Amino acid sequence: MFLAVFLQCSSCQTRVAWQDFATVEELTMSTATIGQAYNYKVVRQFVIATVFWGVVGMAMGVWIASQLVWPDMNLDLPWTTFGRLRPLHTSLVIFGFAGSAQFAASYYAVQRTCQVRLYSDKLAAFTFWGWQSVIVIMLITLPLGYTTTKEYAEIEFSGAVWMAVVWVAYAIVFFTTVVQRKTKHIYVGNWFFGAFILVIAMLHVVNHLSIPVDWFKSYPVYSGATDAMVQWWYGHNAVGFFLTTGFLGMMYYFVPKQVNRPVYSYRLSIVHFWALITLYIWAGPHHLHYTALPDWAQSLGMAMSLILLAPSWGGMINGMMTLSGAWHKLRTDPILRFLVLSLAFYGMSTFEGPMMAIKTVNALSHYTDWTIGHVHAGALGWVAMITFGATYHMVPKVFGREQMYSTPLINLHFWLATIGTVLYIASMWVNGITQGLMWRAVNEDGTLTYSFVEALQASHPGFIVRFAGGVFFLSGMLLMAYNVWRTVRVADVALARSQAQIA
Amino acid sequence: MDIFLNVLGVVFLWLAVEYCLRHQTAESLDDASMVPFADDPEVARRVELATGKPVKAVAPEEAKPGWINLDM
Repeated sequence: MFLAVFLQCSSCQTRVAWQDFATVEELTMSTATIGQAYNYKVVRQFVIATVFWGVVGMAMGVWIASQLVWPDMNLDLPWTTFGRLRPLHTSLVIFGFAGSAQFAASYYAVQRTCQVRLYSDKLAAFTFWGWQSVIVIMLITLPLGYTTTKEYAEIEFSGAVWMAVVWVAYAIVFFTTVVQRKTKHIYVGNWFFGAFILVIAMLHVVNHLSIPVDWFKSYPVYSGATDAMVQWWYGHNAVGFFLTTGFLGMMYYFVPKQVNRPVYSYRLSIVHFWALITLYIWAGPHHLHYTALPDWAQSLGMAMSLILLAPSWGGMINGMMTLSGAWHKLRTDPILRFLVLSLAFYGMSTFEGPMMAIKTVNALSHYTDWTIGHVHAGALGWVAMITFGATYHMVPKVFGREQMYSTPLINLHFWLATIGTVLYIASMWVNGITQGLMWRAVNEDGTLTYSFVEALQASHPGFIVRFAGGVFFLSGMLLMAYNVWRTVRVADVALARSQAQIA
Repeated sequence: MDIFLNVLGVVFLWLAVEYCLRHQTAESLDDASMVPFADDPEVARRVELATGKPVKAVAPEEAKPGWINLDM
């Protein structure tokens, strides 16, 4: 349906005929994609899904943060208890928000860097609807209590099998597009996307190997310490590959594009890729320090985690230095500010991670809120911030607008997200160290100085600050949803088609 | 055991990087770093002006309808 109005274009202040405008439904649901160089329809769909699941997943996070401040917020219902909503929160933000963002970014970047249309529009459409159905399965089954109990892999057997099918289709679309490329070289960003797809497939299948007893109940084929090791080999690399490697692919495309400069050192990007791939997969045992896991495996995990600092910072420096000679753009470009701040948080959290993997530090930090703070330094500061930057970059291009509806709103979003992240991390640092010290304090006669409840009471102010940080972050996300909506609801079909042709 | 695995990791890393860079020159790496701008002649001109390096930019070919691009 076309909007039968003449609209004042916010960027160029010129009148544009009504035939050039289309609704969001037309641009995300339209099948008229033949004749364009690139398939932007699936990118548009995943961009909208990213924003939608971002709002829902982060709102879920704020809700469970409120439950830790006011326990009555669990509503005395089994479906809304912390134990069921927490895995739902992580699943929605990891697979719904971050997953959709990586589908969108990888489909966008692979087409443009290979100068070829995505392989098979139908299979690409299948990956979109298939992936959304996986998220809906999580949304329904997790509050009902169907869970494998494995962190970040809670989806039960039949859902996990369906997820693997969708992922294989994604791999076929991505890699066949790379094979059909018109360019001689495979751009390094695609190496990161490719590694992310392959390794996640391997991790998902191995960790979900189980014996089903019905559609939504299964038992893992592993047991005891082996089960724990497989789970944390998966769990750590869910962070390493789902929340890092794919987003580094995003960084290697969107930072140079936004700043209009090539990546600082292409040679360093190749060393970065191989070093990251070589090391990340070994670091999982640091989640199992001081457990029944053999000591050599714990030491190996610690050593690999420490060495991992080098490639992580190599990549961070490579991204940051891409701005050489163009730092002044940060004054006026809030999208670039999102991208650069995400790299700063990436550097910070990849320094903090190896430090926490040292066994003596881990003895204090493990099981405390410090770990939660560390995860959110990466999740909010790195993953979400770079997603915001990449989404603000892509939306005008794939929906055919000169720019986002409101640049001041992007700027406001930037500050809300930054304040929210800082409040979250700082409160969890204070809580974590407080808890660690109170738990280990002993009296002269060997008895514990503090009970667990006393440590919990001491954590209450931190829970309030964490909740406030979450509210700030969610407010920014809602602003983004509004800004994206106002941008896409009057998308210019003619401009979108021309962007898909040449842009 | 852990020392052996660490050394194995370093050897794998060294071999992988050497293999990937075996035919690369400074010029070919420069070309590769310009790939994100190579499908947009207008942006490529801006990057050339800013960096002084050439960007071989061409607009992509139009996709032809075929069995993999059937209109749904």
